[in-house]
Amino acid sequence: MKRFWIIFLPGVVLGMTLILGSNKAIRVTSKNEFCASCHIHPQATTSWKQSVHYITRSGDKTGCVECHLPPKGQGHIPAKIRTGLRDLWGQLFKDPEEFDWEEKSRLENARKHVPEITCLNCHETLFTPELSKEGEEAHLYYDQAEKTDDLHCINCHLNAGHYIEGYMHGGNESFGMQDKEPEIIYDEPAPVSSFYSFTEYIPGSSVSFEMIAVPGGEYIMGSPENEPFREKDEGPQVKVTISEFFMGKVEVTWDEYLAFYAQTSSEGRTTDTEGSRARSDADAISGATPPYGQPDQNWGMGDRPVISITHHAAENYCKWLSQVTGKTYRLPTEAEWEYACRAGTQTPYFFEGDPKDFQRTGFLSGIRKNDTSKINTFVIYHGNSPAKTQEPDAVKPNPFRLNNMLGNVAEFCSDWYSAEAYSIYPESGIADPSGPTSGEERVIRGGSFRDQAGNLRSAARDHTKTDQWLRTDPQIPKSKWWYSDCYHVGFRVVCEYDQKTGNY
Amino acid sequence: MKNSISRRNFLGKAAAAGAAGAVMPSLINSCAPDGRIKDVILPEFLDQAPDGPELKAGLIGCGGRGTGAATQFISAGPNLKVTALGDVFIDRLNSCRESLKEKKDNEVADENCFIGFDAFQKVIDSGVDVIILATPPFFRPEHFAAAVNARKHVFMEKPVAVDPVGARSIMATAKKAESMGLSVVTGTQRRHKRDYASTYAQVAAGAIGEIVSANCYWNTGKLWHRDPNAEWTEMEYMIRDWVNWCWLSGDHIVEQHVHNLDVINWFTGKHPVQAVGFGSRQRRVTGDQFDNFSVDFVLDNGVHVHSMCRQINGCENNVSEYVQGTLGSSN
Repeated sequence: MKRFWIIFLPGVVLGMTLILGSNKAIRVTSKNEFCASCHIHPQATTSWKQSVHYITRSGDKTGCVECHLPPKGQGHIPAKIRTGLRDLWGQLFKDPEEFDWEEKSRLENARKHVPEITCLNCHETLFTPELSKEGEEAHLYYDQAEKTDDLHCINCHLNAGHYIEGYMHGGNESFGMQDKEPEIIYDEPAPVSSFYSFTEYIPGSSVSFEMIAVPGGEYIMGSPENEPFREKDEGPQVKVTISEFFMGKVEVTWDEYLAFYAQTSSEGRTTDTEGSRARSDADAISGATPPYGQPDQNWGMGDRPVISITHHAAENYCKWLSQVTGKTYRLPTEAEWEYACRAGTQTPYFFEGDPKDFQRTGFLSGIRKNDTSKINTFVIYHGNSPAKTQEPDAVKPNPFRLNNMLGNVAEFCSDWYSAEAYSIYPESGIADPSGPTSGEERVIRGGSFRDQAGNLRSAARDHTKTDQWLRTDPQIPKSKWWYSDCYHVGFRVVCEYDQKTGNY
Repeated sequence: MKNSISRRNFLGKAAAAGAAGAVMPSLINSCAPDGRIKDVILPEFLDQAPDGPELKAGLIGCGGRGTGAATQFISAGPNLKVTALGDVFIDRLNSCRESLKEKKDNEVADENCFIGFDAFQKVIDSGVDVIILATPPFFRPEHFAAAVNARKHVFMEKPVAVDPVGARSIMATAKKAESMGLSVVTGTQRRHKRDYASTYAQVAAGAIGEIVSANCYWNTGKLWHRDPNAEWTEMEYMIRDWVNWCWLSGDHIVEQHVHNLDVINWFTGKHPVQAVGFGSRQRRVTGDQFDNFSVDFVLDNGVHVHSMCRQINGCENNVSEYVQGTLGSSN
């Protein structure tokens, strides 16, 4: 019995010490100051102090742990251990200077660091008495929607924990308004009488852009089965003949799109269904309604490619551009796009290189140091601009003199997307194909600033994801002009040219 | 308070006012023939509202239904009073005031009688505990939001809205009311009837097996209308003739047939995912509504629900619901 006590008592004392000690450790390591002592991105602390979770109405400050770890008893300790180990690893082996904090703060990354249960743990009711009309509709939508990972409180409240300058989630009626009168205003569009590259002028605006004459020819569309990172929808390869056309040297810029927006946008929706709008011979193009939120993501506009616009908006831009210039502008077909991108090459890229050498994924990617200078010369991609678009002259053009065919923003094509699109074409080859006659989503090509090298090959295909890209638009009905959750897709225009008649 | 159900409980937990006082959910745990166990939550029906301190109600909308609802409120139990009235028309308000005095000995003070489109807010602000909303349904979402914003318990007539915007507003306001612990009851009275509730309990327990189809009907004669009057503005005329105007009533399906459709939703436990229908206007005298409809609703399990409704004199009449199950039927 005495032996029992000798073992038991110190055991109790040791146990108590461990429990008290670990409780104390948990308390200490959960303090905001402790977080800030290692997290050497001072911007996180600064922006937190400027946010509504620090400057609260009640005076209570919401600390790091309260948002970034699930509540106690709901996976708090395991998550604390996991993030603790990751932080320790980062502290020892990573260089914080190399992190792109802006990218880490973007919605899709932020979602991984804010368990939604932490929001709902404090905000027990989503329908508070002071909730606005817009808030009611948005919270009702959230309440009734299927609960999926991509629907998270911070979709709409991204700036709740860390202040973001210029962030807005609301109707943006004044978007795209010009604050000063431009110096030049073009009266006439460019006259074109022969098949040479030209500069187009948008009448009634100060905007001009370059159109490249792309000669007709023949190429093999799709990729061979042994191409690295090839997906099944890139085949079977088809021999395609393409007639000549003009193509925008760069992706349509904000300036170009805003010329359309300024001339055609409507403040709200009209209920006039019997007046001039219902006439079949109406010759006006209706423009976009104002966006919800900040479509340029506060990256700046000007020569940067237009983003956040829907496929419908891009098509209407082309119709309008055709009307004001007297030419036939439209989106490229998928076959035209790949022809223009390849510019005579049949390799994965229009420049030399193996996609495997440029790819940066996996555990060992940081160790292998391959030469990426080639891809960096031609492409804005995850390897050199993971967080945002760049101006078009940041890279060199392809052999047809077209910039950013790969990277910067992905580009809409006019085709409906089908994974089997190429198998419907005859084996003997086809001239100017335009894809399936119907479908649900449209083709997008070329990859974007977010993509790894593997997705940026000339043959790589992708498609629109309408529901997903409108997830956080709380308007009813949702906008058909602006995607709320897609900022990596833009477009490029083509202008038709008839060799026989010289008409465009 | 000796009553096992106090008035606070009565208000806080279940229902306020209405024709039949409905209180305290009871749990019927029943075993279906195929072994499924369903928990059916039904209100417990009292013969009258429990006693307690005086409850003051304000009535917004003093027409026929409003006067009826106010009278029934006072009749529902002891110590219940209507202390404020609001309407856009003074003649409607006066006739309601007279009726309450005559039938229920309930007098409403002059300073608590409000006329005009803003009368609803004045009634809400007049120191009442319960608000009765009985205007044409177009106004309901706005009135409901104002009442809940002022932390009042609400009884509101059906339908609660005439369009999706209104319906969403009602849903959001209801969530607010719920989070504030307010009681809200609507005039879909079949949900508060003993016979419907006990039938539901049996159907839910599997008495007729799986539901395979359902029908519902609101086939009746013509409803009332008002002829235009040269002294009235267009607005005044429409509101006086409201059951004939889509924007005010929501049309026949929303305005009346909602009762039967609600029963089908209740019994099947689902809302339709698809609907195809048609209707026409044969005899209606005023307004812009149809007077007959036929709609085929489809639920997410493929079950079809047929609904028909009509307001034309001299035809076969039927206002009811019919549910067919694999083992029998219920109507």
